[in-house]
Amino acid sequence: MARGFDHLFKLLIIGDSGVGKSSLLIRFSDDTFAGTYITTIGVDFKIRTVVIDGLRIKLQIWDTAGQERFRTITSTYYRGTHGVIIVYDVTNGESFANVRRWLDEIQNNCDVVNKVLVGNKNDDPDRKVVITEDAQRFARQMDIELFETSAKDNINVEEMFLAITRQVLQHKLRNAQNEQQKDSITLKKQQKNKRKSKCCS
Amino acid sequence: MNTDPAMTSKSTTLSSLNSIPTISAAVSSSGLLGSVASDNDMRDGEISLNTIEIVQRKFKDNEKVLSIFEAYQIIGQEHRSRLLALVVSVAGGTYAVFSLATARLPPRNVNDLSIDKIFALNETFQIGSDKKGSISQLQFDLKTADEAAVKYFYYPIISAEGASDFETFHAQIISAKFSMTHSTAATESILSYSWLNDYRQIGEVKQELKRRENEYIVFKDFIVYCGTWNVNNKPYSDSPLHLWLSNGEQPADIYAIALQELDTSAKAITFSENRPDPMWISKMLSSLHKDGEYEELTSVRLVGMMLTIIIRKQLRPYIARCRVKTVARGVFNTLGNKGGVAVSIQLNEGNLCFVNSHLAAHMAFVEARNEDYAGIVRGLVFDDDLKRTINDHDHIFWIGDLNYRIEEPPGLQLPCNRASPNAYDVLMKYDQLRIEMGKGNCFDGYSEGRIKFRPTYKYDVGTDNFDSSEKQRAPAYCDRVLWKGVRIEQLAYNSIMEIRQSDHKPVYAIFRVKIKTKDEKRYKRIHEEVLKLVDKRENENQPQISVDKTVLDFGVVRFNELSVCDFTVSNNCPMPVEFMFKVKDPPLNDICEKWLQVEPRAETLMTDSTKRVRVKLLADVRSITGLLKKIRTTNWKFDFDILILHVKNGPDMFLTVTGEYKPSCFGLSVETLCRTNQPLNTYTQAQVKDLMNDDSPEFRVTMPREFFFLIDYLHKQGNKVEGAFETLEYKHARSLQFNVIRDWLDTWSSEEFPGTPQAAAEALLMLLDLPEKPLLDPFVEDLLQTNTAAEAMELISLLSSPRRNVFVHLCMFLRQGIERQYYNLQHVASVFGRILLRSTAHAGRDFYRETRCRDFMHRFISSDIGGTLSTGIADSSGISGVGGGANGGSSNGGGGGDGSNTARINAIN
Repeated sequence: MARGFDHLFKLLIIGDSGVGKSSLLIRFSDDTFAGTYITTIGVDFKIRTVVIDGLRIKLQIWDTAGQERFRTITSTYYRGTHGVIIVYDVTNGESFANVRRWLDEIQNNCDVVNKVLVGNKNDDPDRKVVITEDAQRFARQMDIELFETSAKDNINVEEMFLAITRQVLQHKLRNAQNEQQKDSITLKKQQKNKRKSKCCS
Repeated sequence: MNTDPAMTSKSTTLSSLNSIPTISAAVSSSGLLGSVASDNDMRDGEISLNTIEIVQRKFKDNEKVLSIFEAYQIIGQEHRSRLLALVVSVAGGTYAVFSLATARLPPRNVNDLSIDKIFALNETFQIGSDKKGSISQLQFDLKTADEAAVKYFYYPIISAEGASDFETFHAQIISAKFSMTHSTAATESILSYSWLNDYRQIGEVKQELKRRENEYIVFKDFIVYCGTWNVNNKPYSDSPLHLWLSNGEQPADIYAIALQELDTSAKAITFSENRPDPMWISKMLSSLHKDGEYEELTSVRLVGMMLTIIIRKQLRPYIARCRVKTVARGVFNTLGNKGGVAVSIQLNEGNLCFVNSHLAAHMAFVEARNEDYAGIVRGLVFDDDLKRTINDHDHIFWIGDLNYRIEEPPGLQLPCNRASPNAYDVLMKYDQLRIEMGKGNCFDGYSEGRIKFRPTYKYDVGTDNFDSSEKQRAPAYCDRVLWKGVRIEQLAYNSIMEIRQSDHKPVYAIFRVKIKTKDEKRYKRIHEEVLKLVDKRENENQPQISVDKTVLDFGVVRFNELSVCDFTVSNNCPMPVEFMFKVKDPPLNDICEKWLQVEPRAETLMTDSTKRVRVKLLADVRSITGLLKKIRTTNWKFDFDILILHVKNGPDMFLTVTGEYKPSCFGLSVETLCRTNQPLNTYTQAQVKDLMNDDSPEFRVTMPREFFFLIDYLHKQGNKVEGAFETLEYKHARSLQFNVIRDWLDTWSSEEFPGTPQAAAEALLMLLDLPEKPLLDPFVEDLLQTNTAAEAMELISLLSSPRRNVFVHLCMFLRQGIERQYYNLQHVASVFGRILLRSTAHAGRDFYRETRCRDFMHRFISSDIGGTLSTGIADSSGISGVGGGANGGSSNGGGGGDGSNTARINAIN
């Protein structure tokens, strides 16, 4: 069977319990929003293929359980991840305070550098407690792009997923280019050496 | 200039359809349904369609599902539902049986279906029903040259609305195949199955994009200029080619220029000259329409025949494919003086084919010309991804010296020279090509425009006069331009009298061709839609299971007592699901902790079936050490374990195994035990965790009461202790009776010891063996290096006071027992050596190490223990006893680890 894509990326969504990780995923993969809250007990994934710069990129997006008791076990799913989406709830200050811990989790469990910070539930100004400026300052300090989204009202969700995908893609293309350069350098060296040995013999 | 209706391909197709009345009826009805369905495409699944309508949605508008049949395949141990569909391509005039995998039967919408196999109803197609030695009479196989035999089974009862029974389905297939193999087209083997390629070996996305092609395809006009000239071995230099190649109001987009008799020398023929002639090509390039900028795309040559394709420069990026091919039809069909050369290109989404042929010459050789034509059609297979034949193209232009002549009726003077339109029509009546095409002997499906020019052969070179030589060859329309395919309109068809270098006059034809082109905007939108749809299908087809609970609460869990908890896994999705518990990372390397057992660990669940999974929890001598360590080190809420229930190709679920561990003395370190001021059964799990993590040097008692009770009891048994301290098998712990001893210890009971001396000895060994660290930690390795008991005693005195006191007390007790011959020194040294000097570094059994441990214990117990010990005791401010014979522990609660309590060693001496 012909492969239906040019790149396959694995993305991971992490963050405190109840911040809306699953809702973001369902909004992106299915374009729906279920009003009822169901705790994710485990890890689930959905796929969605997007086209960026004419390249078909298949995303396998893993949604993880946010509960504290699963912290050790979810950390084993970081392996092989190309990009991480760290979610907090703009109406819940604690979930924002915990972002630092989630960043540590990433640091400890994988080598990926591609990540975005997402303040979800950004649809009711009256309930918002994590103000944009604070989040932005923190994001800048951590060198990470910030998105304020609403899975419920479908605000900024598509943009956020496309941004992390673009980041991963650029990272991958850059790496490939570096590899190629390295190869060509070694090749040049080899050729030089060959010529030398010819001269000698 | 218009198409001759007698020669279109449509007539063949329709007539072949009409020859099977049952099926053609189905065509028209499903055609109606097809159009209704497409209107409601967006609200798929909400409207109730019958199965045949759902299957129809898998195909394009001009492909009709004639009949469907429910079958199944047996793959491994599974029955896999299949829907077989007999489908006709109205355009191709050919049939095929598609085998569709269906997520459920009957399918609810088109998303449930995916194409599994395709059996073209070509000459190699077979439907067999060999039932020999089979388990079921209801079976048959399908097979073609491309597709190995596949066995299908079917049920006696039909569930899908509109599905055929086997006899009907079988009859329809046979009749469809018969109708094709007996149509006139079949004799020339030009039946096209290329429509099937849209469903083969391409991903679902491409399949879906193909199906929705009509939504994003627009037709763009391109001008195609075809020219043919038999140059009669004349050089290029003196021919005014611009007269031939620069006609038409607007510049052509594509030129296909065909030459014959470029070089018919014996040398060229023998060596199959195939190098395009650059002189001719550059002459052509300089003779084209003045308003266009052109470049050569490709040229292909076989001896005298050369075909050159020239395109406007700006078209170059839109040419996706370009292939050439030649077929020799000269002597023995190997020499290239006759035959054909061809070019296949893809421009935007349209496939074009240009053929230049030089067929057999001479008035009488009509048959040979027909055979040459058929031979070229058969032999011309392009070396591309799909092995396209001429007929696999959307637009075909067949140009060349076809050599068909005008068959002069005797006595009739044909009006060759006259310029009246009627004259040409009269001539055409006797034209062999038109006659043969009319009979269906050649060029099936091709069209030719009306000829309004003089025969192009044979002239005296340099003049416009017909052959005046001795042979006096009759004038003929040898040089022709034919076309086949869709959306082709001829704009001009003429010859050039003014070019007189050859005995043939050059001919040209100009066409307007509407070529399939992607509307990029619409394509992008539909591409995205298709991707979403295919993704949605993949997400929906992800295997899923459900469990009746995700928290397995074992309630109160006690040392050495088995607890059981069951849960149910259900498969409610439309496919079989494999689930298994995931093996966790090292150091565990197992699906669960040591204190758990899970049964089964993996299973395959059919749709709508369930499986009960049993989890057993037992914290015993094997596992208590690890469990207590986990309790001690867990930062947050303690769970016995989290099981990862993995669905193959699907999600993972976390099952939390939880409960409250009821503390017991077994597995706790002597320090922890010395910090208790009440019996252990009064503590909670959390309190014991705090006790375990308390590392202050303050102790409530100098030696754990539990040790004292056991040693005291054993001491009192005198010689009734046969078999004690001989092995480390812990066989008493396996009986329920042992848990009474556990409770006796954990309650500081004042009752009689509820067991045998042997069980008490085992309990004592367990108290020493089950803590995370051996009693002599952290000096185990140092002690093994010592040579004398005195040397060892120096290290012993550095142990924490509970460890030191237990060790000294134990050794004195054992020495006495040995002296009185209650115990065997060898056994005692071996058993206690293994426990007290247990290695924490590696788990493997090291024989030498065991020997060294035994020797150490042997030496220590049998040496002048009294003296050594008293020194040690003196050094460490004496052994403080515990609550003596009285079991009321709380009375001793205030006692610290210092020497303030009375030494009670004497009590057991």
